[in-house]
Amino acid sequence: ADIISTVEFNHSGELLATGDKGGRVVIFQQEQENKIQSHSRGEYNVYSTFQSHEPEFDYLKSLEIEEKINKIRWLPQKNAAQFLLSTNDKTIKLWKISERDKRPEGYNLKEEDGRYRDPTTVTTLRVPVFRPMDLMVEASPRRIFANAHTYHINSISINSDYETYLSADDLRINLWHLEITDRSFNIVDIKPANMEELTEVITAAEFHPNSCNTFVYSSSKGTIRLCDMRASALCDRHSKLFEEPEDPSNRSFFSEIISSISDVKFSHSGRYMMTRDYLSVKIWDLNMENRPVETYQVHEYLRSKLCSLYENDCIFDKFECCWNGSDIVMTGSYNNFFRMFDRNTKRDVTLEASRENNKPRTVLKPRKVCASGKRKKDEISVDSLDFNKKILHTAWHPKENIIAVATTNNLYIFQDKMN
Amino acid sequence: MLGRGLKRKLSDYEENMAGLSSAFDSSRNLPYPLKRQLVLNMCLTKLQTYKMLVEPNLHRSVLIANTVRQIQEEMRQESNQQPINVCPGITPSTHSYAGIESSGISLQLPSGISQQESNCCDLRSVEDPIENSLLIVSDDDMSSAISSILKDLDFVEDISPPTCLVPTGDDQPKFPENTGLKLEDDRQDLKGAECVFGSFEISNSTSYLKDLAIDDIFEDIDTSMYDSDFCCPPLAPPRSPALATEEPLKTFPSCNSSSASNIQICRTDLSELDHIMEILVGS
Repeated sequence: ADIISTVEFNHSGELLATGDKGGRVVIFQQEQENKIQSHSRGEYNVYSTFQSHEPEFDYLKSLEIEEKINKIRWLPQKNAAQFLLSTNDKTIKLWKISERDKRPEGYNLKEEDGRYRDPTTVTTLRVPVFRPMDLMVEASPRRIFANAHTYHINSISINSDYETYLSADDLRINLWHLEITDRSFNIVDIKPANMEELTEVITAAEFHPNSCNTFVYSSSKGTIRLCDMRASALCDRHSKLFEEPEDPSNRSFFSEIISSISDVKFSHSGRYMMTRDYLSVKIWDLNMENRPVETYQVHEYLRSKLCSLYENDCIFDKFECCWNGSDIVMTGSYNNFFRMFDRNTKRDVTLEASRENNKPRTVLKPRKVCASGKRKKDEISVDSLDFNKKILHTAWHPKENIIAVATTNNLYIFQDKMN
Repeated sequence: MLGRGLKRKLSDYEENMAGLSSAFDSSRNLPYPLKRQLVLNMCLTKLQTYKMLVEPNLHRSVLIANTVRQIQEEMRQESNQQPINVCPGITPSTHSYAGIESSGISLQLPSGISQQESNCCDLRSVEDPIENSLLIVSDDDMSSAISSILKDLDFVEDISPPTCLVPTGDDQPKFPENTGLKLEDDRQDLKGAECVFGSFEISNSTSYLKDLAIDDIFEDIDTSMYDSDFCCPPLAPPRSPALATEEPLKTFPSCNSSSASNIQICRTDLSELDHIMEILVGS
């Protein structure tokens, strides 16, 4: 139940939310910077923990609905409270997280402990005042968006209008208004009339960061479709189709499986989007549909191991990816490794998130995997990689060089070295 | 890891699978048809496993089904091109298995397949290694495998159709068409739901009714049927293990030992395989 299933910074980066397999959400808050000692940025400490989803049982279909949190998305802050959307396979919930650090004291009719005073003892009136108290963080569900998805929800994405959001399952995408829970509009439906003809499923979806009418969704066949909601009520016809023709020299039985896109993310500017398939990260320019502008190999040494990875189901692992602005991209791999690619310098690095190999406050040492041949010192051979230690979820602070990396059970927060 | 000419015990089944996939990955000498067969076996095994789950993963099932279709298409094209091919005894159109003797099958094999390579795939018996190394799965069996799993996935039917807003005037001409289609689809979905619910009920219950039907068929059938590599549809709906083990007991006494050796890797039921091995060793 402690397996982390999603990680997300809020819009200011002050808060970091994680969801786990047990349906819990844990929010971390960054300490306010100590202006005097500016040798490091504030650390993240636990701010709030709450149970977002509970396991449910669908009596009609005799199915258990897992409480695992698939995605968390923050709303931009509009007042003192914070809002986030969290979703499991079937239900999306809007949570309000608010602070309480004052409480009223000096009621006329009640004692401080809540007992009612004997009215005959009240001889004077006073005005209650707010006095400080220990900080209390409360989370309360404000909206529950349920019963709109037959298949498992894999993505939620808040629109740039901050009023609507989309939720995507394997075959459909629905559009919601944050205020309205009893209705949603189906905007994409790829379910064939005959399920036996099904060959493609939706794997991820996201709204454009600036154009509130544009969204993209990726498929299990390695394609991304960009849709414009102004075109029609049901966006079954894409406006753009992004697909790279297959490289015939790399063709194998597993080509289709490894082409399945596990995550799609727009760059902060909205000009580019990044997709993650099993072995690589691709950067696409929205103006060019026939191929990506850049391709980065995450762990090409696994290409010769695909049959074994298929056999143990690792080939179906869904890795996420994230942007740092529009310049650096990050994604996870096996053996608790994660990779960063700098688009400008074309440099890449492999780092490891583990306690044994890194003491706190030490600089992470770059790692290297030896694909074949003689293994150099400090290199790790492909065969000794631990495929149970996978980093599927990573997040980058929206403004600073602070990253959050989730291994199976642990959350690591790294920051770049300040001089 | 793979011995040469060593007989594999069925308790090593899973080790063998891992060994095979690493052999696939590391060996460059495995002939393409053998690799393809291995992948196909793995796919069908997975689909079979998923069928037994209460809620199979749609994404994975679709990916695996597509891989099977791709292999199926390749094999179809190959068999269209060459009359004598690596999957002896199959032509896409035929269902008649009668009269195919095991000796006849080995004659048809291309001479390129060596003993060692066939042993790489030797999971079931040593009696006819060449023939067993190439698991014969018919085109139709593969199609039925894909169809059945995707159909079962359809059991998660929509109960209520998704709502659509009444649009602004501009969309008016297009919209009625869309709603019309959607409502029709939903009505079909609902009708389909009733049928699929029906079939889903049967396939997910103890399914004793289906088993009885299959047994009846087998009782009437000539023993010469079992001389082929197809004992029964490898991807019949999931059966409870108890009943599944009874079935080979009923059918095998009527087979001769060489056909009994044609065990199909599609069965993931290991206790079933154990049973069969006991019979083989006993005979």
